[in-house]
Order: sequence, then C-alpha cells, then structure tokens
Amino acid sequence: MSEPTSTNTPKPSSSVKLVLLGEAAVGKSSLVLRFVNNDFQENKEPTIGAAFLTQKCSLPTRTIKFEIWDTAGQERFASLAPMYYRNAQAALVVYDMTKPSSLTKAKHWVAELQRQASPGIVIALVGNKLDLTNEGSNEAAGESTPAEGGEDEATNDENQAEEATPGDARKVSTQEANAYAEEENLLFFETSAKTGVNVAEVFTAIANAIPESSLKTGRGAGTGQATLGGGRPAEDTRVNLGERAAATPKEGCAC
Amino acid sequence: MMQWSSFVTKAQSLIDPANFSLPVLTSTDRNPSKASLFRQQFRLPDSQNPMQEITAELILPIPHGTANRDRSRDFDRAGNRYVGRLHISERFLCFSTQPTSFAPSAALNASTNWAGQTHGTGPFGNGFTLPLCCVRRVERLNSLSHVFSLALTTWNGALGKTQEPNFVPQRFTIELVGSRQACERFCDGLKRGLRECMKDIESLRVVVNDCYSEYLLSGAKNKTQDENNPADVRQPPDAGLGMIFRYPGDARKLRDRSKMRLWGEYFRENGRNVTLIRQPTFHKLIRVGLPNRLRGEIWELTSGSVYLRMRSPKLYQETLAKFSGQESLAIDEIEKDLNRSLPEYPGFQSEEGIGRLRRVLTAYSWTNAEIGYCQAMNIVVAALLIYMSEAQAFFLLSVLCDRLVPGYYSTTMYGTLLDQKVFESLVEKTMPILWDHLGKSDVQLSVVSLPWFLSLYINSMPLVFAFRVLDVFFLEGPKVLFQIGLAILRINGEELLDVQDDGSFISVLKSYFSRLDESAHPRSENPKLRAITRFQELMVVAFKEFSGITHSTVTELREKHKNAVLENIESFAKRTSIRNLGPESKRLSMDDLGVIYDRFYEVLYNHQQRQRVIDEEKKRQEKKKIERTSVLGPPVDREVGRVGLGPSPTHMDYAAFQDFLAATCRWAVSDSSGPSRKDSTAEPNYMGFRGFNRSSSSLNKPEPADHEFMQRLYRKWATDPSEGLSLQNVVNGLARLKGPRDIMNNINYFFNLYDDTGNGTVDREGILRISETLLFLSRRGFEGTVAPSQPLEELNGGHDGEQIDNDKLSTEERFLGSVSAFIRRCFEYADPSHPENAKAAAEKETNEKADEAADKLGSFSIGEDEEDLIEVDENPNPDSATGAPDPEQDEQEAHNRAASESANLALDPNNPLHITLPTFRMVILADELLEQFFDSFFPTSFHLFDHPSHPASIASSSLSSNLTTFSNLNIPKPQFSASNNVSVAGASGGIVPPGKGLRGVLDNIVSDGIRMAAEVKKRMDEAQRDLERSAVHREDEDDEEDEEDEHHPHRGEATPSPAIVGGISSWGAGAYGADPERRSVREADRDLLEGAEVVSVRGRDEASLLDSHDKQEEQESKADGHAQGSNGGSPQRSESPSTEHGTVVSKVVEFES
Repeated sequence: MSEPTSTNTPKPSSSVKLVLLGEAAVGKSSLVLRFVNNDFQENKEPTIGAAFLTQKCSLPTRTIKFEIWDTAGQERFASLAPMYYRNAQAALVVYDMTKPSSLTKAKHWVAELQRQASPGIVIALVGNKLDLTNEGSNEAAGESTPAEGGEDEATNDENQAEEATPGDARKVSTQEANAYAEEENLLFFETSAKTGVNVAEVFTAIANAIPESSLKTGRGAGTGQATLGGGRPAEDTRVNLGERAAATPKEGCAC
Repeated sequence: MMQWSSFVTKAQSLIDPANFSLPVLTSTDRNPSKASLFRQQFRLPDSQNPMQEITAELILPIPHGTANRDRSRDFDRAGNRYVGRLHISERFLCFSTQPTSFAPSAALNASTNWAGQTHGTGPFGNGFTLPLCCVRRVERLNSLSHVFSLALTTWNGALGKTQEPNFVPQRFTIELVGSRQACERFCDGLKRGLRECMKDIESLRVVVNDCYSEYLLSGAKNKTQDENNPADVRQPPDAGLGMIFRYPGDARKLRDRSKMRLWGEYFRENGRNVTLIRQPTFHKLIRVGLPNRLRGEIWELTSGSVYLRMRSPKLYQETLAKFSGQESLAIDEIEKDLNRSLPEYPGFQSEEGIGRLRRVLTAYSWTNAEIGYCQAMNIVVAALLIYMSEAQAFFLLSVLCDRLVPGYYSTTMYGTLLDQKVFESLVEKTMPILWDHLGKSDVQLSVVSLPWFLSLYINSMPLVFAFRVLDVFFLEGPKVLFQIGLAILRINGEELLDVQDDGSFISVLKSYFSRLDESAHPRSENPKLRAITRFQELMVVAFKEFSGITHSTVTELREKHKNAVLENIESFAKRTSIRNLGPESKRLSMDDLGVIYDRFYEVLYNHQQRQRVIDEEKKRQEKKKIERTSVLGPPVDREVGRVGLGPSPTHMDYAAFQDFLAATCRWAVSDSSGPSRKDSTAEPNYMGFRGFNRSSSSLNKPEPADHEFMQRLYRKWATDPSEGLSLQNVVNGLARLKGPRDIMNNINYFFNLYDDTGNGTVDREGILRISETLLFLSRRGFEGTVAPSQPLEELNGGHDGEQIDNDKLSTEERFLGSVSAFIRRCFEYADPSHPENAKAAAEKETNEKADEAADKLGSFSIGEDEEDLIEVDENPNPDSATGAPDPEQDEQEAHNRAASESANLALDPNNPLHITLPTFRMVILADELLEQFFDSFFPTSFHLFDHPSHPASIASSSLSSNLTTFSNLNIPKPQFSASNNVSVAGASGGIVPPGKGLRGVLDNIVSDGIRMAAEVKKRMDEAQRDLERSAVHREDEDDEEDEEDEHHPHRGEATPSPAIVGGISSWGAGAYGADPERRSVREADRDLLEGAEVVSVRGRDEASLLDSHDKQEEQESKADGHAQGSNGGSPQRSESPSTEHGTVVSKVVEFES
C-alpha cells in the first residue's frame, strides 16, 4: 500500500477509508467539500447513496490519502449505510449544533459504528454550523487563515437572525457534546463548513489517530489490532489544537 | 417471418385452452396474479382486470394522403396485418402481438410471454391500448360470412373544437378468430364496456387537449393562421420547463426538427396519444430519442400514466388544494432539497421551476404518505418537469414508484437494495472475470451502481443521454436499467480490471460518463464507425448484447434475493431500534430485547394480515367491483406488513397486545385453545364444525385470554392507550418487571396497577380484583417458581412424572389458601376510607401491624391456609353451593368475625375502606407463597429469551403430560360456554371424566376459592342493595354516603367499560349464580377463566352482563368470519362442487326416469 509519491517526497503514503454519517442537512457534504476543495456551495446537490471524494493530508511523517464516502443523510438511507462504512478506518459523525435531534441521531450512529464497523475504527464527533452561533463569528475572525478571510463576513447571514439571542442559534452546548465524546472515546470538534473553522483540523486529527499498524497492513486490515486508545499516543500537537478549539467556545457559551 | 409467426399464433389459438371451457386448476395463490400481469403488460391502472380475450387479427388501412417518399417503410404501411390477442377490461380494449393470455384457464407461462424478449417493442408489442371511450363506432362487417370482423372508428383527432385540416377519421378492422360463440361473447362484452364508458369522454377530452400531439396536428403552429385570428389562437400545451428555459442539449445536434416531422407523420397514420396504434416504427422512433416537445407525452403513454390521469384529470390540483397550508415531515425534507435538484439546469435556478418541483413532490407526498419523499425523487421529478407539465409529472411519478421501480423510494428502500443484489448477480453471471476481480480488490459494486438505479441515471450521465435512457426505460420497463448498467461495465471492462480500489473504480466510470458524446472509435478508418458515439455504442451493447436480460430475468432474480435483502434490512432495523430504546431497556438483556422485538413485530404483522383478510372478505361480501376510490396509491396486489418492506404499523392496539402477552406468558393464553373437549360432550356436529374452523385458522397460535389484568397492564404501559403500545412502551413495561429481581419493586408495581385513583390506595373492589388476578395468573401453575418451603423435596421443582402431581397439588392448593388469606387479611388491615373512622383505623392499624408481624414470626400462615383448604376439600361436591350461603362461607365469615372487627367492616359498604401500599406489602410478605409469587413467579412468567420454547406449546404439552394440574382449565372453549345455554353447561356439569379424579379435586379447590371470593362479593352486593333500599329513606342522612351511593350504582348499571364488569361479575356469578343447579367444576373454571361470560346473574349486574355477553357473541361470530376468511373460504368452496354434483345427478335421474 505504501508507495512513495512520484516526486521528491519520500514520505510514505497510505490511504484511509473515511465515512461521513449524520442526519440530513447537517452539512456532511459541505464539510467534505470544504476539506477537499476548500469551497462552500449554498445549493449542494443532495447526495444520492453516497458521494466519493479523495483528498491527501500531509503529516510530518507520512501522507494520508483520504477516500471519503459522503453518505446521504435522509433517515431512509440509513439502511444503506453498512455498505459504506464496511471496512472504513475512520468515521466522521456529524451533527448540527443548532439542532439537538441531530446529536441524538449522531449518538445512534456512534453506537452503530462501535458495534458493526471495523473494531479499530477512529470516530470523530463533529458539531457543524459553528458560524450560526455567537462564538462562530468571533472564532472565525480569530482563527481562519487569510485565504478564508473573505468568507468570514458571510457568517452574518440571514439564517441566524431569527433566534432569540441575536446571532446565536446554538442548541447543543459544547460541554454536553464533549462529555459524550469523552465518555465514548471519540475525537470531538466544532466546525463550520461555511467559514472553514476547524475543518482541516478534524481531518488532521483523524489522520494522526489512525494507528500506524493498520496503515502498514493496508486498507481494511486494521481490524482487531489497534484500538482508538492505541492510536492516541501518536497524536501530538495536532490533537491539542483540536482540544483547544473544542474548549474555546465554552468561554463564550451563552448557556 | 411475419407470416410464419402469425401462422404459429393462429395454430396456438386453435389449441388454446381458453377456447375450451376445460376446468384447469389455476394456482391462484401464486404471485403475481394474472390480472396484475395483464395490467403490467398494457400499463393499465390497478382498477383494470382482464375480462375477456380472444385471438384476433388487426388489419390497418393503407395509409392515405401522404406521399410515399420513404420506400423503406412501405412494409409498415401497406395495410399491415398483425395477429395477436385482443383483450377487454373494464375500460380498455387492448391488442398485442405478444402471445399472451390472461384467461383464468390458461396456463401461467402463456401469460408471462411478454416478460421475455420483446425485441424493443416493450411488453405490449405492436397493437394498441385503447380506452373504450375513445371508440366512436363499431361496425360488424359481414363481407365474408365465415369471418367475424369488426370495424372500429375512434375519436382520434375529432375531439378538438375545430376540425383539423384534411381530417380523416381513424378506422381499422379487427378480425376475431374463434368459434362463433366465442366471438359473440366477446362482442357482447365489448358492447357492455362501450356503453359503460361513454361518460368518460369528457375527461378524455381534457387529457387529450394537454397533449402536444394534438397541438402539433391541429396545424395551430401555422404562423399565418395565428396572425389572422389571434383570439382563436391555440396556445401550445405545457410541454415542460423546456419550453421556457430551453431543453437540454443542442436541438440541431439532436436533430429535433426531423424527429418531430417523423412523429407527425406517424401520428397522422397511426393515431396520436391515447388512440395511437403501435407499429414497429413507433418503437424505432423511440430508440433514436424522442423530440423534446413530444417526450413528455410519449413517456406518459408508454408508462401508462396517461391512463391514470384520464381516470381523474383533476386529482393533482385537487390534492394540492386539499392539503394546502398543511405541514408534514416530507414537506420539510422536500424543502431542503428543492434548491439542489438539477441545479445546473436554468429552470431550477428560477422560482418557476422550483415552484413546480415543490408542488409535484408535495402533492405526491400527500397521495402516497407511505413513501412521502425520498431523496432522489427530487432529481427524477426535476428531470420529468423539463419535459412535461406538473400534472403529467405527478402521475408519472406515481407509476414510477408503484410499478416501474417498486420499493426504490420506500422508507426502507428495499427495492433499491434488492435491485442492487439483482444487478450484482447479473454481473456475476455475465462478466465473471470482472466480478472476481472486484471481489478480490474488495470493491463493492453497489456503492457505484446504486445511484445509477436510484436516480435512473439522471445524476450519473449528462442529461441528454440520461433522457435517451429514460425514453427506452418507460417503454420497456425496469430491465432497461440493468441492461444499461451491464453495458457500462462491459464497455469499461478492461479498464476496470486494472482497478484496485473504490476510488479508481469510480473515477474510471466518471470519466467514461463525461465522454459519452465522443466517438466510440476515434481512430477508425471508417468514417461511419467514427461517427458512432460512445453513447450509441452503449445503447447497442445494452440492447443487443444484453437482450437476454428480460423482464422475467429481473423478476425471477428479484424473487430469489428478496428474502435475503428483506432479512438484512430487518436485522439492521432491529439492531438500530433495539439500540435506540433508551436507558430503561438496559435492564433487559440483548437477547430479551431481541425476543421482544421479534414478537412485537410478529404480532403486528399477523394482525395486519388478519385485517387484510377481513377487509378482503368484507369487499367480497359487498360484492362490489371496487373501482379504487383513489386512483393513485400502492398497487392492490402489493405485499404488506414486513418491516423490511417499508412503513408498517408501529403501535399495538389492545387486541394485538393480548396476542403479544399470549406469546409471552402462559397465563395470558386463553383456555379455549387446545383440543376441544366439548366435541365429545354436547352438540358434537356443531362443535366439530366450529372446532375445525378454529383450529385451521389459528393453527398453533395461542388464543389470547382477555382479563382485566391484561387491560390494566396495557393501560399502564401505554403512553397513550388510544394510540396503542409502541415497542418502547412494551420494552419499558417489561423492563420494570423483568429487570433485576426485586420483590419490593414487583409488589409496588402490582399495587400501582390497581391503584385506580393514583392516591396510593386500593379500595375494596381493587382488593377483590387483585385476589382474582392472583388466581388468574396462577391458574396454569407456577412453573416451579413457587414452592412452599416445608416439604423440602418439592424445591427441586417437579417436571417429570406423575408423582410430582402430588407435590404440585399441594403447592396449588396452598396458593389458593394464600389468596384467600390475602383477601381476609387485606380486609382485616384495611384502613377505613371514612374520615371519621380514619383515626381509629390508624390506631387499629398499628396494633394490627404488630399482630401481623407477630403472626409472621410465628409463620402461622401455612397452617391456617391449610385449614382453609381442608375446609374446601371436605366439600368437594357441595350440592347446596348456591342459594343460601354455604356453611363454609359461614365458617369463613365466622372466622373473619373472630379474627377482627374490621373484617366485618370490610364487608359493609357503608364503611368504604382501602389498603395502602405498606399494608399490601405487609400482607404479601406475610405469606410465603405470595412472597415467592412476587419474588420469582410473576417476573419469570413473562417469557422472553430465558425460555427458548414457546409458552403456548408448553401449555399444550403440559396438557398431554398432565404436568400442570391446572392445565385442564384450558380446555373448554369460551365461545361455547358463552353462547350456549345452560343445558350445555348442564350436560357437562358435574361429570368428571374418568382418570381426571385428581384434577377434579383441584378444580374443586379452584372453584371453591372462587366461590369464597364470590361470596364476599355477593354479600357486598346484597349490602349494597340494602343500602340502596334504605338510601331512599334516609337520603338526607349522610352526604358522604350519598357520594358512595352515587358511585356504586353507577358502576353497576351503566358501566363504561364492560370488561371491568366482566371481571367483577365473574365473582358474583362464579360458582353460585341464580342457577339453583349445582354447576360442574368445569363450569366454574370457565367462569373463572372467562370473566364475563356467565350464564345467569343476579340483580343489578344482569343488564350490563347481558350486554357484554352479546358483544362477546358478536365478536365470536366475527372471529369465525375471520377464520373462514383466512381459510380462503375453503368450506364453501369444497361444498359448491358437491352441490353441483348433486344437481348433475338429479338431472341424470330425470333422464333415466
């Protein structure tokens, strides 16, 4: 599996199958699009079955090529999901932090993955649509790279105006989701596909969390060898970054 | 070729069994039915059934007018003759060259012929599908005396307001082939149909006016005419968004104009829209791609959705109007996707296009709430809307969902998954090397192919090509999807063999789709070859190389894989729903939850099936040829009920809950199941007949009992009893009972069940009901969970052999004693509800509590109980059981009186009393058996995973092995005892069959226990009556008593729930009704077990009892109806031939005489 890339990079490259799960319209496809193309489309065609995309993620020691299966979110497509998470080494379970029911659904997916997917699967819980919350706009301003700076203004869009607290549509607190993630041993991030906040970090953290052993043996063979905990030591500074991102909103949390 | 085939068909017709009236056995049970095959072939609505059929020859006139420019098509037009089969349904006259037969007597394979290779003509072949209202005139031609031929003139082109230029009515001839009689019969049928359908002509006019072909042929396109007469200008009908936003693709490159001309010509010669006659050119013209403006109309025609629209032309608008302003989940889902349905097409970047899409999807979600809205429908509908009007798209969507891609968009998407399995197995069969390779490199084909099928290639290929696929798809049916899919893989086979993972697999195909318009042979010397595009190549490969993939291939494979796919979906659904049951469910094991889940859905499934049978029976009885009220909706012959098939009921009503309990708990099984002992006693014929019905209908399914306790459980478990029990409710309910063993919890739970007022007290009625319930629950024995501790050897609970009966006997009888002691003690320690007495009672209670504790220490209970039992046993056959109070009852009463003053109070309705939870707990704990009952028996009597075998089968097996002494209680059938008079009961009364002596004794014990309770009840009733009588005299005496008075008569006379009355009345009438005769042991059992069905009652309960009695009977007769229904009415059927036979015989006799 590990083949040196053609040019002067001697870093080993390996591919990782990643599946995105979550309720409809939480922004799964947008997250992927942001990660893959660094782009955001208001009107994304809904995913039929699943969309397939790839993106490379460069780590200090190696290159990870993500093969991303972006699944359809509508409830009835759930029975198709096993087809897609089969042999997946990583999963992104996404919820919409402005919609509590989507977290419930996310928990169901986590449970399903823990029981049915490959034993070593790395699961990241991702709360999306940070841009619709108060912290979202602050953070976007603070953290986004210059390349994404132009889109920051977009956070003050029409969607958020209707909520009681102006600009804050958050319904799922960071603490709640984080506590759950810790309990289930999941990576946890709050992101905005629209502004790009934390999106790359999610994928980097996952790349770091994938156990070396499962990469060496190739795709799908990581079963039964390494647990998520085993992968933990491998993640260094990146994880801290993620934790910090998850922690920052706490300060500004209105509830 | 043509002649040969016609000769063959003729020959077939001569030996066609349909022409003889031979009684051929048909496998009516086989799915799909002939009627549904007929509808599938001619794309007819579900309301249509094949009525008559006959072999015929269609003779078309030599086309007139148009010049013979095109010599190559002369063959088509020179007065073509087609031999085929002519069918008539309620509203249609259909002709097809595909040799098919739907006559009930024809063999099945004949009717499926169209499902084989159709050589591009689609299942309906050459011919026509003519709505009867389109027929303007039928003439019988008698040119040749031996030929039976009809000339049909249609309304083709004559429905418009203005006469078309050069109008010639469409007229063609049909020669019927068959005996004169058969022809006459067919003509009669036709005549009848024509008369019936005259009234449909108005909707025909409406529909036809929306067809672009009418506009095309009316010559309204003629510009000069437009200018001359602007007021009379005919607006072109809506042919989709394409008219506003342009059609996809380059019209010139698609040669749209010349295609249009060819179609115009075809219409002129062969009729347009519903009066069109299909000749080979028709199919060829479709293969090369439809012209933009006619595309919608031809789709409508080939898919048959136009017939739905004709049936109710206004349904679309009406649906929208009816539900306007309402909200639903589907609408929310639709809204999310509106902006992302073919967003690259300009029409869907505009409010106009999005509005149309929203309306069509919403209207459909209302008409078919089961499907509602599924992602991918938005894409399909968006594509349809480019070429057709909203109403047309609406009906076409309906045909898609119900017929063309059934189950694709259902809530479980089983159709999608099934077709993926079918596709995979086709790939395996046709391209084994590629299949092996995919397997080796761990590429899952369906992740790639699923979107192809789900969105009918619309999302995968460039739109222009996707529409070409759709053209053929609507004509030939779902097999096209498979053929195209296989062709895609075949063409890319070599590249795919190099692929190592999903990613590259997808990218190979993606790049292929993006180059479909390029030359398939770019480097070829031959310019003709070079001109062939990759798409053309795809079509050729799909329909030539894979012509062997036919409708029946697909049908067979679907049938083959169906179960596996459904099971997969169901196990996924089960897994998910069990996991999502919430924290409460964690008290039960996974296995238990699995059992609950299975049982829950099995019961629901059975109930649904039963309901269907009932409905069908009802329809049959009404003897209506049901034209379905709603034109759209799931096909009539659809399978329902399996979780995997889509939405199924999620809530149990009480009846279903009874079945569920019966499958879970022995005590919930009615005593009627099992072999009927009645058969041998009274009215053997009658019983035998009923017994036969019953046993064949319910097979080994246990008949559930109906007991007040079960109703209480139901109400307790349900969040909303009117809505029913959800799986969650049932799991929570069982989790409370079956969770970690906790006797206090169980006692509390039980107490709460009877705490009607919710204030922590149970009144006198409640106490009696509790004790009766205890007997009800224990009537089938304790399954070894309850054993008195004294004789230690009993603890190794008996399951083998007769000698254990003795031990058992003592357990059962002891328990009876315990229950009687329970009643006694409850009354002893009860608190008076009367506020004045409350204080005293409180004092008393504390005293008594002390006493009680002392009693318990001294473990007096067993001794006393046995005394009771002995008393009972001494009178195994008390002749004076009724009428005057029993001596033993007196004793009992004396005992009570001696025991405590409050016991008397207990029987005096003037002193309402109640027990509280602590009292109840104390009373239970005071008795070893009751304690065991609550500690182990009660929770374990709910059999989940811990009991692998079916409790019902245990019950019946125990019947034969005599293990459970109470098992004979389950022998009498409730319906007989309820509906038959006293004499029946009398006949069996008092007779203890030989060999049942031991049981008889036990039965007596039971009946005596009941009698005891009944006596209490009776006394209460008497006291009540006294009270009522005296109440007249002392009305003003006591307000609070008045309240009581009001309460009681109310309960007695106009009981809101007859079930509760039944529960109580069984006490009143138990072993000593007004019937002076000593009733048999078994009768008493029946009373115990059935609750309400008592033959005679005294006093105030009578009216209400009779009421419930009648209802019971009604229900039974209904149940019998069901039984017959589910039998397929076999008794009647088997009878009718014999009567026929009888008449035949009598005729013969007449002849002889």
